[in-house]
Amino acid sequence: MTVALIRNKDQHVSVRRSASAWPIGTVGYLVAAIFTGFCLFPFYVILTTALKTETAIFAWPPVWVFKPTLQSFYNALFVFGGRSAISYLINSIVISAVSTILAVVLGAMAAYGFVRFRFAGKRHLAFWILSTRFAPPVAFIVPIYLMVQKAGLLDSHIALILIYTAMNLSLVIWILRGFFAEIPIEIEEAALVDGYSRLQIFWRVAVPLVRPGIVSTAILSAIFSWNEFLYAMVLTQSRAATLPVYLAGFSNSMGLAWGEYMAVGAMAVLPILVFTFAVQKYLVRGLTFGAVK
Amino acid sequence: MPRIEFQGVTKIYPDGTRAVANLDLVVEDGELLCLLGPSGCGKSSTIRALAGLEVVSEGVILADNNRIDHLPPQARDCAMVFENYALYPHLTAFENIAMPLRARRLPVPEIKRRVMEIARMLHIEPLMGRRPRQLSGGEKQRVGIGRALVREPAMFLMDEPLGHLEAYLRIELRAEIRRLQERLGITTIYVTHDQEEAAAIADRIVVMSGGRLQQVGSFLDLLDRPVNRFVAEFVGEPPMVFLPVERTDTNSISVKGVPLQLSEPLAAALRATKDTNLTLGVRPNDISVVPPANEHLKGVVTLVQPQGSHAIVAVSTPGGPATVIVPSDWRPAAGANVGLAFAGERLHLFDSTARSLLHNREDSNG
Repeated sequence: MTVALIRNKDQHVSVRRSASAWPIGTVGYLVAAIFTGFCLFPFYVILTTALKTETAIFAWPPVWVFKPTLQSFYNALFVFGGRSAISYLINSIVISAVSTILAVVLGAMAAYGFVRFRFAGKRHLAFWILSTRFAPPVAFIVPIYLMVQKAGLLDSHIALILIYTAMNLSLVIWILRGFFAEIPIEIEEAALVDGYSRLQIFWRVAVPLVRPGIVSTAILSAIFSWNEFLYAMVLTQSRAATLPVYLAGFSNSMGLAWGEYMAVGAMAVLPILVFTFAVQKYLVRGLTFGAVK
Repeated sequence: MPRIEFQGVTKIYPDGTRAVANLDLVVEDGELLCLLGPSGCGKSSTIRALAGLEVVSEGVILADNNRIDHLPPQARDCAMVFENYALYPHLTAFENIAMPLRARRLPVPEIKRRVMEIARMLHIEPLMGRRPRQLSGGEKQRVGIGRALVREPAMFLMDEPLGHLEAYLRIELRAEIRRLQERLGITTIYVTHDQEEAAAIADRIVVMSGGRLQQVGSFLDLLDRPVNRFVAEFVGEPPMVFLPVERTDTNSISVKGVPLQLSEPLAAALRATKDTNLTLGVRPNDISVVPPANEHLKGVVTLVQPQGSHAIVAVSTPGGPATVIVPSDWRPAAGANVGLAFAGERLHLFDSTARSLLHNREDSNG
């Protein structure tokens, strides 16, 4: 830096300095903008198609400026078939929310146990938990179908909630283990001396300190549960079927109603988008910084 | 306030480290006792065993003759201050201090009153709304001390509380800790590796090394009557000078051919032992630099460190290096040939097992 400063004495030194500190110039922004546009374009198409009239959807060349209509949303929610999209939406929300809460609560407790307690076979147990994710989910589909069927839980919310919770648990445990391990042990020792029990320390000291980890695992779990298709497809038909199942069934039963299809697609993205934006402000790292030393 | 008693306490960690070995120690009601020793000497393990953060491997800990070593930490009524503060990062200073009271489910107005009272005592009232990361080291540790004091614990345990602070803050805070401790009369155990700090605030000092208690006493006891070479070397700044000794006969000894004048008790102690492998110990304060002469140990000045009121002079002698404290108005130059005279009544002799010939009966253990 010093060398560069001397050599460029006559040029715009301050500009160069800020550029080296954060190397995004106009070109960088341009590249970033193109890439962002590329990623968002499909979503733009989904949203605009959902807002177009049927003729506008099929117009060629594509219509860029049009008068938006909510007709497709209305049709998807209230007109189509016996059961409208809204019941699938509710199923998706219930199943995702419950399985996410269960996975995060149970996973946080397990992760804390792995970090703070000494017990036989600890490392093997942790590895086993991770190993549950080694095989592709489709490999378990038959045994799980049989189990769910024998338990009389086919087409029930509880079956999907249990399966999604189990699938998310290993992820939650492994991520949160790292977060809990970062809490300086002295903080918890201070709490012990201050008169708190282990369980109280978990809820009042440890959990608030790993909030960023809780939030990120909750987001990941919710996205997984929200998007999961295979198990939902096999284990549910109508009563507990989720949005992905409904979306997949669209082309078969209705021919392909593009406007309504895209309207449901937009609605399928929306809740998870809102959830992620709502909680991401808690994704602040370094909360434990400055606690000790 | 309880009287704490350690009886044969031993702490062995799972990896086999024997951190504390067979510790017998009584902490009197209301006293401030310092555990002093180099790192790894077992002082922190001792205090943590008392707090309940470590399980004792052998032995018992009594508080007023009731066993407490099997109780969980929250049942022992100890408050602890940690070297690295260990504040709750997600809570404000006020909430940090309030935590022990909330654990006891005190009514909210009572909590507020007591927290603010402690904050006033520690001069941190304006900081009550801040989180730990917005506080300086000294402020954090005041909050840490406040959290420990707020519930009026039976014992106050401090594990190197000032270790991470700057020198001027250490001096300021240690005086404050001592004032608070005297005012509240809480039995306090204070761990430090800084002898100056221990000397400044302790009623009694426990010197530990290698997990074993070496000596208990006031700072002056430790300086003037060290029971063994470890205490003699560890306590006192600059450290004691050690020189090998030749034993010419039962009654007299010399250093590199220069006979030593011994006090009567020391001469008697010498007659009582047959050990020939003796070491002389003498404080830099008890050596004076004189013109070279045959009745004195000769040496060459190698380094002079002025300290304001005095100077520390390093002298190389045939028996080994020696440190001498001289008044600052008389300062030998490096390279000068000098003689060293010892204050005969203040000499220490250590036998081949490093025990003091004079003070080895732990008679200063009062």
